[in-house]
Amino acid sequence: MTRLPRSAPVPLAATGLALASLAFLVEDVWLVKFSSWLIFGTLALSLAFIWGRGGIFSFGQNAFFGIGAYLYGIAAINLVHSTGETVTAFLIGGLGGALMALILGYFMFYGRLGDVYVAIITLAVTLVLFTVMAGTAGPQYRVGEARLGGYNGMTGIPPIVVGIPFQGDGIRLTPQTMYLFVVVMAVTLFAAVSRLSQQPFGRVVIAVRENELRTELLGYDIRRYKLLAFTFGGAIAGLAGSAFAAWGLFVNPAVFGLRQAALVVIWLLVGGQASLIGPFLGAALVEWISSTLAGGVGGDETPIILGITLVLVVLLLPHGLAGLLRLMWERLTRSTRRAPRVPEGKPGETSPASQKIPSAILTQLLQNARTDAATLEVRGLAKSFGGVQALDDVTLSFPARGIRCLIGPNGAGKSTFFNLLIGRFPPSRGRIYLEGRDITRLHPHRRAQQGIGIKLQVPSLYPGLSVRENVWLASFAVSRNVPDANRRTEEMLGGTGLAHRADELAANLSHGEQQWLEITMVLAAAPRVILLDEPSAGMTREETLRTADIVRGLGEVASVIVVEHDMEFVRHLGAPITMFHQGRIFVEGTLEELRRDQRVLDVYLGRERARRVAVE
Amino acid sequence: MKVGSILDQTGPINIYGLPMIDATTFALEDLNEQGGVLGRRLELQFFDAQSTNEKYTEFATQLALDDEVVVIMGGITSASREAIRPIIDQHRKLYFYNEQYEGGVCDKFTFCTGVVPSQQLRTLIPWAIQNIGPKFYTAAADYNYGQISAAWVRKILEEEGGELVGQEFIPLEVAEFGPTIDKVQRARPDVFMSLLVGGNHIAFYRQFAAAGLKDEIKIVSPTFGLGNEHIVLDPSEGQGIIVVYPYFQELDNPTNREFVDRWHQRFGEDYPYITDSANVVWTGWHLWAMAVEKAGTFETDAVIRALESGLEFEAPEGNVRLDPPTHHLWHNAHIAQVNDRHGFEIIQSFENIPPEFEQEVCNLIENPDTFTQYTPEL
Amino acid sequence: MEPDLVVRQAVTVLSTVAVLVIVSVGLAVIFGVMRIINLAHGEFLMLGAYSVLVISRAGAPLWAGLMVAPVAVGLIGLAVERLVIRFLYGRLIATMLATWGLSLVLVQLVVMIFGPATQGVPTPLGSLRVGGYRISEYSLALIGFAIGLLVATYSLFTRTRYGLLARAASQNPLMAQALGVNTGRTNAATFALGAALAGLAGAMLAPVVGVVPSMGQAFIARAFMTVIVGGPAVLTGMGSAAALLGGAESLVSQASTAFLGQAALLLLAVILLRIMPQGLSGSWGRRL
Repeated sequence: MTRLPRSAPVPLAATGLALASLAFLVEDVWLVKFSSWLIFGTLALSLAFIWGRGGIFSFGQNAFFGIGAYLYGIAAINLVHSTGETVTAFLIGGLGGALMALILGYFMFYGRLGDVYVAIITLAVTLVLFTVMAGTAGPQYRVGEARLGGYNGMTGIPPIVVGIPFQGDGIRLTPQTMYLFVVVMAVTLFAAVSRLSQQPFGRVVIAVRENELRTELLGYDIRRYKLLAFTFGGAIAGLAGSAFAAWGLFVNPAVFGLRQAALVVIWLLVGGQASLIGPFLGAALVEWISSTLAGGVGGDETPIILGITLVLVVLLLPHGLAGLLRLMWERLTRSTRRAPRVPEGKPGETSPASQKIPSAILTQLLQNARTDAATLEVRGLAKSFGGVQALDDVTLSFPARGIRCLIGPNGAGKSTFFNLLIGRFPPSRGRIYLEGRDITRLHPHRRAQQGIGIKLQVPSLYPGLSVRENVWLASFAVSRNVPDANRRTEEMLGGTGLAHRADELAANLSHGEQQWLEITMVLAAAPRVILLDEPSAGMTREETLRTADIVRGLGEVASVIVVEHDMEFVRHLGAPITMFHQGRIFVEGTLEELRRDQRVLDVYLGRERARRVAVE
Repeated sequence: MKVGSILDQTGPINIYGLPMIDATTFALEDLNEQGGVLGRRLELQFFDAQSTNEKYTEFATQLALDDEVVVIMGGITSASREAIRPIIDQHRKLYFYNEQYEGGVCDKFTFCTGVVPSQQLRTLIPWAIQNIGPKFYTAAADYNYGQISAAWVRKILEEEGGELVGQEFIPLEVAEFGPTIDKVQRARPDVFMSLLVGGNHIAFYRQFAAAGLKDEIKIVSPTFGLGNEHIVLDPSEGQGIIVVYPYFQELDNPTNREFVDRWHQRFGEDYPYITDSANVVWTGWHLWAMAVEKAGTFETDAVIRALESGLEFEAPEGNVRLDPPTHHLWHNAHIAQVNDRHGFEIIQSFENIPPEFEQEVCNLIENPDTFTQYTPEL
Repeated sequence: MEPDLVVRQAVTVLSTVAVLVIVSVGLAVIFGVMRIINLAHGEFLMLGAYSVLVISRAGAPLWAGLMVAPVAVGLIGLAVERLVIRFLYGRLIATMLATWGLSLVLVQLVVMIFGPATQGVPTPLGSLRVGGYRISEYSLALIGFAIGLLVATYSLFTRTRYGLLARAASQNPLMAQALGVNTGRTNAATFALGAALAGLAGAMLAPVVGVVPSMGQAFIARAFMTVIVGGPAVLTGMGSAAALLGGAESLVSQASTAFLGQAALLLLAVILLRIMPQGLSGSWGRRL
């Protein structure tokens, strides 16, 4: 079974109870403050999820918070008289945040905007909302009984009223009960986020953060995962916004302002964005400092103290308060139970070559998952970048089983060819058929689902995840079923000799091990067509030969296409060769045929000669 | 006896907050020197809202939950007042909002001592039509205050036989007035009505002067000076601008002469300028103290009854009257012109101007359960 | 339309663009070359304006302020880089937080020294009459300043040894180090340069805006939009973005309202980024 950190329901419940018990121990003044800190913490939690977990940096997370706050206001003012409660309005706020995030996220992720641009677009959106809401001062801007109120804001917002809709007036919350309500909200959302992080959905979201390209090439629709994560974050922020409006009985456009946008990030960074407790710690600390100083202690110096605190946190606590607490905890416990450290593997130690894994096992593993095979055919494929013709009129077909080597000097078009096959960019002309089906316009993840797997030249893994998680993500991509994925993960780990390294972070593996892990992942996804980009790069001669054995084995059950420079490796595969030159198929044949071809030598040597002349 | 105040000591709004904090200190020191209120010394619980709205909510709650706090004063922007009001209404506390604003608040627990647009514009516009010309161009800050004031300008112009040749709303964060100046030149008004507000909008006056328009088109304004615009601008840019306020440091009446002298003793002779806000904060605290003395108790309902009995106070601006049904003041309005020494010269004074719109819509004696703000549908 | 009105409106559009270029150039250098989101950019600008204020209160003419402001703010920038920023290279978001903290400190320090009230220096030069309209000569000067700033910064990066090193250090720090470039010193110089340019911008704008501790906030958001929309070509891309965004804002404000002008700027920025996610200069293949 996959061992992933589990959230502890017992400590969470205990924390929740401890927080709740404060309601009976502390004066109302403090409960009002605590409520706001928890609300802000929840807002920061939404960013911790989409940024800390999903790697999407939303600089305008307060937009969803503000939408939630305004919607709560509008819904509560209009509904409280008829339904007798405002919990519905509270939920409407969350729904509004989610909907807003869904629309905005669709625009950004399906448009494939880069990270910095996502940050800027989200910020721009919240600033636009600020301007728009500030311009609603006139009496004509009203929704039902709720006047938007422009720059001055919306007033007359009822507090949370708990009750059953249309069953008479519910209970209006006091500072004490409002605090309890906020505790329940925060704990519930915290539990939801931490639980979701362990669900397959949450794991894939983390995978997207770790390595978008690999996730896509395993067959996950990263746009969809990002969009869902973003929407979930929007819902949390929207609920926090609802609570905020009910807390202050008031909302104005400042919730959409630059200051509020930056504050969310600040709370999270001060608390530590990697943890889910961090956002709450950060919000509480920053707000506690500024509200304590405001009572006359700080006076004029308040912003200075706050500003210096922020600078110091960044300089001294890169992982925030949560990181500091974790470090202190580890210091405290290290003397008593020192975890046995997994010895660092030497390069190549667990590579297929040194472990002498029979290629038959791998072949079997691949066959277990998928019995069908598929032919691949390209017709008239061409790609130009600007004025450069990187690939020109390539027509090739690959049998359902067997190996094909692609060779050629740098810039011959091999990489472009692979990239077109996996769909990283569309061809300028030509068609690609998998088992007779036209896949030319399919997205990369759809092609991966159809059975095209690739091992990239530079290992593309999830460095921040364990070896087991790496393989699990590949296994789950095919089966979309947790027990099956778990079983296949253990099978692959055992079969490829990575089992003893399963809990190590992929980043800690040697280069050879990383190559091998990537091959394992490609096989775990049970491809019908396997693309290998320089599989023997960086290997010793002996390892190279064994890897060639393994590839030969794979060729018995799948269509394998290998790009390779190492002629020894190519010779050992004994497969037909296609040579690319200047974006075209230059010559096809066996290695022996190519060796006898003077033109082939000219291409390679001509390059060599030209290069030597250039150097001199 | 504890009294509460929340103002912006830090952050961008402190440009207005710091003078109001000075006035608060000054007023409370004065009351305590006179032996306190009902013989009790006043102890100020002050909070710096840091130009942030949720801090107003937080501190208003803190003060409202403190049973020993008998009155809360504060809030500068209308947004901050609107953040405070629901809290004090919920906890039934007495609240004074001491700042010029857009008008219309009608709330049993709230007393608004600042001047409202109708009071200033009712005097300024007829004066300008008579003394300058009938064609007006309005540029207003694009938020509640500016929009409501601009509506008043339209209404009063119509009633007084003036003409509006152009109107424009400028977002608060705009500091580039090229397009506005173009439009003004095209419209060729006699009078430029400035309802501009805040640090960025000061740029308008210098860009207007730099374009050489100051001598061709006269600027009149009910907002110029609140942010010390007359101190900031060079006389070449500011001199001659016409403003209207209840209060000017230059007002020549005995109460004000004493007020200014004592203020300078307390805060130094080089204090930039005592603005209308200081006058209003001072007035607010003293009206409250008078009401408590009259009620004989600090208890909220009794003090409100005393305030609603119709109080008069000799303020630095002149005599002011509290209008019981609206919880607003009858103010004085003085029309003045910026002189060549960063100060004002009073041109003409008007007394006892009622809050006309509030009287139309608000009667807290008859409808004590009102907690709202009305917007004129002009 | 009458020719005099056309001239007047053209000057208005150009001076809006010029202001956008002036406030963005320092940010473009720091963000474009060093990949640091400097949220204290607005405050550097504010410090430049206050430098002019101090100088002109002392009786010196405006041009003296224009000389002193970049030097003073550049030195402050240098200190900030040495004390804080240099520990944060490669941590984009961390630099954002640190510079935000810094901006809080700077604003409040200025409040404590100069007070919160708006201050100002009078606009120099006079006004020109074109037909029935008047044009401020200083807004013509601003257009000149903007062009001068772009040309000077461009030459600095292309014609000097520092420029070469700065571009090398930013594009491939490891390689630059291996070649013996002192990247630490180069980065410090670049940050100080960005700060100095912001200071100069503040000095140039001081005569036309109100000088107030919070003035930086009015410029920072649009400066960021301009730099991001500009894309990887730090100076030419930014200049083109300023022309498009500022032009749109100014034309729309003239035709309708200032609110719609601002909305036009933001909307255009978002649309441009949607069409060209790498910014205007994404496909230009140049870095300056």
